[in-house]
Amino acid sequence: MTRPQSNAPLTEATAAVDAPEGGLSRKGLSAGSVGLIGAIVIGISCIAPAYTLTAALGPTVSAVGVQVPAIILVGFIPMLLVAFGYRELNKRMPDSGTSFTWATRAFGPWIGWMAGWGLVAATILVLSNLAGIAVDFLFLLISQLAGNPEIADIAANPFVNVVVCLLFMLGATLISYRDMKTTQKLQYWLVGFQVAVLLLFSIAALVEVANGNAFDATAIDLSWFNPFAVESFSSFAAGLSLSIFIFWGWDVTLTMNEETRGSEKTPGRAATITVVVIVVLYLLIAVSLIAYAGVGGGEFGLGNPDIQDNVFFHLAGPILGPLAVLVSIAVLTSSASSLQSTFVSPARTLLAMGHYGALPEQFARVSPRFFTPGYATIVSAVVASVFYAVMRFVSENVLWDTITALGMMICFYYGITAFAAVWFFRRVWFRSVRNFVFTLLSPLVGGVILGVLFFTTLIDSMDPEYGSGSHVFGLGLVFVLGMVVLLTGVAIMIWQAIRRPAFFRGEMLSRASAE
Amino acid sequence: MSELRIVVGYTANEAGADALALANRIATAAEGALEVVMVLPSEAHNSRVPVDSGYIRYLREQSREWLTEASTHLGADVASKLHIRYAESYAEGLIDAAHEFDSQLIVVGAAGGGLPRRPRVGSVANELLHSSDVPVALAPAGSREIPASQGVTRITACVGTRPGADVQLEAATLLARVTHAPLRLVSLVPIDLPAGLDEHLAELTSATHAESVLAEAHRALPEGVEASVETATGSTIEDAVQALDWHRGELVLVGSSRLAAPRRLFLGSTAAKMLRELPVPMIVVPRTTHGTASK
Repeated sequence: MTRPQSNAPLTEATAAVDAPEGGLSRKGLSAGSVGLIGAIVIGISCIAPAYTLTAALGPTVSAVGVQVPAIILVGFIPMLLVAFGYRELNKRMPDSGTSFTWATRAFGPWIGWMAGWGLVAATILVLSNLAGIAVDFLFLLISQLAGNPEIADIAANPFVNVVVCLLFMLGATLISYRDMKTTQKLQYWLVGFQVAVLLLFSIAALVEVANGNAFDATAIDLSWFNPFAVESFSSFAAGLSLSIFIFWGWDVTLTMNEETRGSEKTPGRAATITVVVIVVLYLLIAVSLIAYAGVGGGEFGLGNPDIQDNVFFHLAGPILGPLAVLVSIAVLTSSASSLQSTFVSPARTLLAMGHYGALPEQFARVSPRFFTPGYATIVSAVVASVFYAVMRFVSENVLWDTITALGMMICFYYGITAFAAVWFFRRVWFRSVRNFVFTLLSPLVGGVILGVLFFTTLIDSMDPEYGSGSHVFGLGLVFVLGMVVLLTGVAIMIWQAIRRPAFFRGEMLSRASAE
Repeated sequence: MSELRIVVGYTANEAGADALALANRIATAAEGALEVVMVLPSEAHNSRVPVDSGYIRYLREQSREWLTEASTHLGADVASKLHIRYAESYAEGLIDAAHEFDSQLIVVGAAGGGLPRRPRVGSVANELLHSSDVPVALAPAGSREIPASQGVTRITACVGTRPGADVQLEAATLLARVTHAPLRLVSLVPIDLPAGLDEHLAELTSATHAESVLAEAHRALPEGVEASVETATGSTIEDAVQALDWHRGELVLVGSSRLAAPRRLFLGSTAAKMLRELPVPMIVVPRTTHGTASK
């Protein structure tokens, strides 16, 4: 980020600060410290497949039935297209405000502000969902270790649940605030373990099917991979917006240009391998669990609303027996490390918004001891905690509803980011074939898909029976949630525009385009 | 002789202000040079989130601002340079900087919470004490309120009751010379015996032993170096510390623990107790020093 003008007079001492411009990439980033494997590990750890699947598989099945594998394959396309635009923007204007800064540059302060808000809202939604899943699995793990199934049910008590969830949040906040780092070695083990357990889980499910022990054996069919077999466009859109969520976080591997070791091809290779690993895992799990449990509404059926918001929680026991404890550990560690990495993004976006005067100055504060965006981190944590606590009492299916609303928020801010890429690069579209593909075609198509998904989900979710079926005032809870989040954003934006007009007059961050 | 070069571990909080003020005061007295260093966390081995170069730039800008602001508090006649360094840990960054600038002293704020003016060693200072091969000065909370004009009024070297303090004496002598301050040798004698023993006798024995060690240390001083000698007794180290008089502008030197690896600092139990009680800055000298001993 560059501050337009330093208002402090430059003393001689300032000139002597010896951190040369060119030295940054050498000393700060230590170019070449992240190799191919390292980049893949970061990518998988950010996506957190174990957590993502347990949270998203149920809602996806409820939207598209057995066509989950098809939706997983199709859902990757808009993510990839938008990620190309994201990568171009990140290359041209690296800034910790990401979507906020880029959208402000391209479309001016109002749209930029809302893009920032969308990102912050999405990450705060996912933080509360992550902590919620972690709570469920913590109690499951304890009950498995103690051999007492009743302990797992304690998680259903809203008071206990909220208290434990707040403790998780507190722990994650402390780790984020103090910037405590996991060592590379531990991170490798955690990710390796996660992948191994998911493989074990799906293979065990298939073995059970083959042995005739499946709960509701469903013959695997090629039509599962056919997106056109989905009943209606609404279902298709709902499933797709969920599958946007399952690939969320993958884009980071594409942006790791500067610090990857080896040839220039390393980031691209890392991103490709990551996505192949993730897609294979997702397909394996989806196919094996559907084959094992079917999509019916029976006790363990993936169509049973009681198990849909956290399917591994309910299926690990029947499929793996005593080894189910491994799934609990994998999901717990996966959500814990995702909780940490997710905390970084709202805090940095809020920091950038504070820095450019779109929010009060305190948000731009950096902890002098830990060099983290301290104030913004704490605000994110408090908002996520309050949000979870309120939702836990409002909705019976809090995890499910937050995931669906999350998909909508991701479509919102990612869509704006995609269009920002298109508009920002408008003068260089036709300079080369490369430019045409990465700055116009990909982000434009990706942005349009996300836009359609956003509006379709928004309209469909007005139906009180949408998603989990939670509703308030005769409207679907997901719709209400989405509208409350967006309108709160608009309200705060107007309030800030009155308090801090400089940003909204474009004085802090001016509109620009790539030349 | 060579001028005193001091590395200041600066952070934009009260501990950093304490360190800066103390270093400024010593440098003013010794006509030495300051290297004000901010150590930022290196992202080199980060394996959690992808590196965000935008944020790194933001941190660097912020640190520049902090350093610039800090430099306005330095004396006009003190030669100072500002530096930003990246390291895996704060301590590592400071030690590397001390080697890079060939410094004889690292100054950090001691505070890490605890009662005001009674510093508990913060985690950062603690890490430094375990790994530095350069003497480390710990600025107690409140050092920032003492003006540079106070100067260094006395150097006190705490001589242990066991021999082996020659490096420390050498450092104390050097520091006294460059800061033009008088030197005092002190032996702390805690007498903590079960009731019933002849306390007077015990006191006498310990004190006599301490005095002989002190006298030996005194003799070992180079030609022409004047030093006063004192023995402080008390039922605990804390009492003994309080029995002595302390100047506002005083500096105390202690040797690092005998448990430490050669040329590495480690705060022994006596020194740790003293640190809690001392109202003045303490400098911990490694058993064999990298910088001072060679000068």
